[in-house]
Amino acid sequence: MSEPTIVRITTDPIDLNALQRAVTTPRDGAVVLFTGTVRGVTGAERTEKLEYEAYTEMAMAKLRQVADEMRAKFALIHGIALVQRVGEMAVGEPTVAVVVSAGHRGDGAFEAARYGIDRLKQIVPVWKKETRPDGSAWVEGDYVPSRGD
Amino acid sequence: MVIKLFATLKDRAGAGEITVSAEGECTVAELRTRIAAQHPALAELVARSIVAVNREFAFNDDVVRATDEVALFPPVSGGCL
Repeated sequence: MSEPTIVRITTDPIDLNALQRAVTTPRDGAVVLFTGTVRGVTGAERTEKLEYEAYTEMAMAKLRQVADEMRAKFALIHGIALVQRVGEMAVGEPTVAVVVSAGHRGDGAFEAARYGIDRLKQIVPVWKKETRPDGSAWVEGDYVPSRGD
Repeated sequence: MVIKLFATLKDRAGAGEITVSAEGECTVAELRTRIAAQHPALAELVARSIVAVNREFAFNDDVVRATDEVALFPPVSGGCL
């Protein structure tokens, strides 16, 4: 049976309720939704806004790859949504969403969502520029891809 | 050969793409050397940047052809902190 798989790079605000509806099939009794938001306070540091940029064509291909890997590792899950917003976002706004539906909460939905966000942060070409009171700078990740990524 | 740039690389070059003269084909390692030589503003960053060819990660011994879609970018930092 074909299950809903949504992958999206968008400048629009992420509508979490719409994503939940879109991945939920009549066979689902559980939906796990992870969203990352712009954090304004990190210890003593203050963040005013984040600006996200994507290599959209490759990012879409890599989001599809993450969804395929989630299905391969967590065979009982049903719907998947992986959405990355790009452009400027203010503190508190959702920047990314990973949504997974399954028949029951024990069918790997939590684990699949965790895998999905961790993998997205490794291989999906998206970068963020952080603006603090003292200026802006690109944040660099630390994951170096290898063959198979 | 046209190379797409993102994030720090784009800012440093002052452009979303650069052109590198490369006849026929070369390895990713050779491409890094040519970028550093022809675009000195990127020289410091190019060794630790990621190269993608045709929307897949590429490695130093991979071959790049003039017709390929090539991109250079820092380790990714999307998602959320």
